Amino acid sequence: MSTNQPSPGDPTPPQRGKIAERLLPGGTEPDPRFTLANERTFLAWIRTSLALLAGGIAIEAFTSDLFLEPVRKGLAILLLLLGMLLSAGAAVRWIRVERSMRNKTPLPLPLIVPLLAGAGALAAAVVLIFILWR
Amino acid sequence: MAWGRTMMALVTVSAIFLRWLPHHGLPILLLFAVSATAAGAIYFTQRRRYRTSTRGITQETVDADTSAVLWTAAAAVALGGLGILVVLAA
Repeated sequence: MSTNQPSPGDPTPPQRGKIAERLLPGGTEPDPRFTLANERTFLAWIRTSLALLAGGIAIEAFTSDLFLEPVRKGLAILLLLLGMLLSAGAAVRWIRVERSMRNKTPLPLPLIVPLLAGAGALAAAVVLIFILWR
Repeated sequence: MAWGRTMMALVTVSAIFLRWLPHHGLPILLLFAVSATAAGAIYFTQRRRYRTSTRGITQETVDADTSAVLWTAAAAVALGGLGILVVLAA
């Protein structure tokens, strides 16, 4: 997974992998702390998407007394789709941020933030309306 | 530590999938297999990753771990897709 790193004192820059060359072309290596911070942010988004995936599976199973089957399945699929979008979006965000850092351009806007906030608010509103309506 | 937390999240999710085996049936074992495999892959590459990171910080240059990022995202997307199939089949 990782490329070879030179031994201490060796001024030769490390060889980049083929995937890295293709996805992150040009520019210069950013501060390693920023690259590692970008990776940590990506992993935080992945953990959020995993929570949504687990929730999607669980909600279909344990809300059989609360919701009708189509509503249950719809909610479950919504959560699973959101989890998928979030994980794909996290990878896209990681690539865009890494490219921005390499080329010293402004960081892109994190579009998955409004996506998650909007979807979460919508889901909460739907559940609230359903509870009040019952 | 971030990779360690992600590995633990995958282990937890694997356990959740197993928990709902009686409801969803055998297809949920596919999700368990994908999440457990992803957790195992992170575990077995962790030491090399730390070594690369610390060496990179010392030398002030580190190659972005593109393949790890793409594989992790692919695993999460695959889990979502399989989850949708399991829910529809239930």
